[in-house]
Amino acid sequence: MRQLTDWLKRYALQLIVLAVVIISMYAAYPNFRVEASIERLIPLGVIAAGLAVTMIAGEFDLSIASMAALAGALTVTLAPLGLVTSLLIAIVACTLLGMLQGWAIAKLGINSLVFTVGTLVLIRGLTWLVCGGLAISIDDITASDIFYSKFLFLSPLSAAGLVILIVLGIFLARTKWGRELYALGSARHEAIAAGVRYRRGMVIAFGISAGCGAVGGALTSALSGSAAPDALESMLVIGIAAALVGGISIAGGRGTMVNVFLGFAIISVLSSGLAGMGAKGFVSQLYIGIFLLAVVLAEYFLKRFGEYRERARGRKMAEAVA
Amino acid sequence: MTTTPTTTTTSTIFQERAGFRQAMNRVRNAALPLLILAVYIIASIAVPQFLTFETIRAILLATSVTGIIAAGMTAITLSGNLFSLGVTASVVLSAVIYLAVGSATGNIYLGALAAILAALVIGLGQGYIVGLGLNPVVVTLGAGAIIYGATAIITGGEVVAARTNTLGVFATFAVLGIPLPVIVLIVFTAVAWFLTDYTRIGRNIRLLGSNKETARNSGISPMGSTIWAFLAFSVGIGVAAVLQAAQTLQVQADNFPELTMNVVAAVLVGGTAVTGGDGSPVRSVIGALFIATITQIMVLVGIPQGTRYFALGVVVVALVVILHLLRKASSR
Repeated sequence: MRQLTDWLKRYALQLIVLAVVIISMYAAYPNFRVEASIERLIPLGVIAAGLAVTMIAGEFDLSIASMAALAGALTVTLAPLGLVTSLLIAIVACTLLGMLQGWAIAKLGINSLVFTVGTLVLIRGLTWLVCGGLAISIDDITASDIFYSKFLFLSPLSAAGLVILIVLGIFLARTKWGRELYALGSARHEAIAAGVRYRRGMVIAFGISAGCGAVGGALTSALSGSAAPDALESMLVIGIAAALVGGISIAGGRGTMVNVFLGFAIISVLSSGLAGMGAKGFVSQLYIGIFLLAVVLAEYFLKRFGEYRERARGRKMAEAVA
Repeated sequence: MTTTPTTTTTSTIFQERAGFRQAMNRVRNAALPLLILAVYIIASIAVPQFLTFETIRAILLATSVTGIIAAGMTAITLSGNLFSLGVTASVVLSAVIYLAVGSATGNIYLGALAAILAALVIGLGQGYIVGLGLNPVVVTLGAGAIIYGATAIITGGEVVAARTNTLGVFATFAVLGIPLPVIVLIVFTAVAWFLTDYTRIGRNIRLLGSNKETARNSGISPMGSTIWAFLAFSVGIGVAAVLQAAQTLQVQADNFPELTMNVVAAVLVGGTAVTGGDGSPVRSVIGALFIATITQIMVLVGIPQGTRYFALGVVVVALVVILHLLRKASSR
């Protein structure tokens, strides 16, 4: 019981926002089906999870949307080998690329924002090469049929997304390597001095990030049977919004996969609700942008308010002593 | 400092270190201009159509828009606030305002003024939020999404076109054969360089970027300097948007998707330190010139678009890594 109240307290803000969003969607649009929003776990949920892992480690992976597009393009190009094989190859290749990226960042000691801005362009270019500059599609249109089956409200894709989030959550919270990422994100020098291996942490964080992006992109392409060189570009900002709205700290070291799921749910309910009402894509971009800024501003003012109260308490104690 | 090296060995080590550092700095400063020179020499020999008036004109015109924004963005980078990832959305909004106001009033100067004012208001808002100490990448991405959404809603996602061709005067006007955008680029860069290197606001921005604590302790307001940096950037956005709109005479909400990355790449390739404090708008414009040149050469040689993107990515990553290593070596 105690644990449950602690848990509720920890995620109270996100749960309230989620409830408000769901209620207002039902109010505005009675035919709204909240369980349909979970379909966006692929690609949005996993991409937000990948971004969250690098943020927890105190880094930033701007290349994740390009990585997703590359995985999608690889899946479609390799589809003649069989859909499962092509999916596996695409995801493994992109994960390795991400690990290489993490290794390079650690080896060079370079700011990950700078490096991944470069690889954002580079991997997008690679996607153009793989696609041959055109939107491409899988010839065998029946290949993706299995993805349309349903178990209760879960499709195979959303089930896969859920499993990835749960596995990542256990990895981050319960394993040594996962907890080391928190250490690297919150107090890097101290962590390294205490024996945390920085380079290994970066390889893991960027490997996971690229892997998540790749799963998102590859499965999206497998589902639609197509890929385009400029696909999924907006996933970067929407993914960052989901991670931050959920309560992942951009300063590093704070946040769990529950935060990611809640953030994903908020953004996903919002955009699928707006889409259901017939609003165009740019309308939901506007709302997501407003949400993102509102959340970072709210977090800032809450922190300032906390510091202010702390200081007031300190003064009172000093007066009492005097 | 109070202590002086007592033995000759330490002082010679210091001198050697200083000499090495200076040499590395010199390499870093000269690297990009030399690289561009080399590219021009090789290209003019290997690519027959390269050294023509049309090609050079196309390169300079392409440089003018990204270069002006990159010069403005340098102020943000210098102030230690990384970069803005909302360039495209702001440029589109300003361009729409230029075309709309210009068409409605028939006065291009009024249109340009409205476009620059709009950019300034947007920049002021973002500068204030970033000045509070929030992550600039997140703020500008979020602001970009809002601006994009708002522009698309206002225009209904439709093309906004100029009602008269006079709105194109800013692009077609030329002095002694030099197109106006190129002249604006040169003037803008010169002013930006003067402001960052020779005025108090510029020096404050630079100090804020190189050491926030020292800057605050010496009486510089981080909020004020950050806002000034965003205002400088916004003037660049407004001016570049007017020039861009004058060239195309029509804009749609999802135009220029690659602009943000080109500008960020120009700043990075130019060699301004992302950690802040070290760099110059001139460098960023040279970075923009380099990117435009490489792209134009690839177009001339007939390399397809996909390969061009890829090659550009390779060049950006390689240069960023090389500059980072050089900077590390010179600060050792």
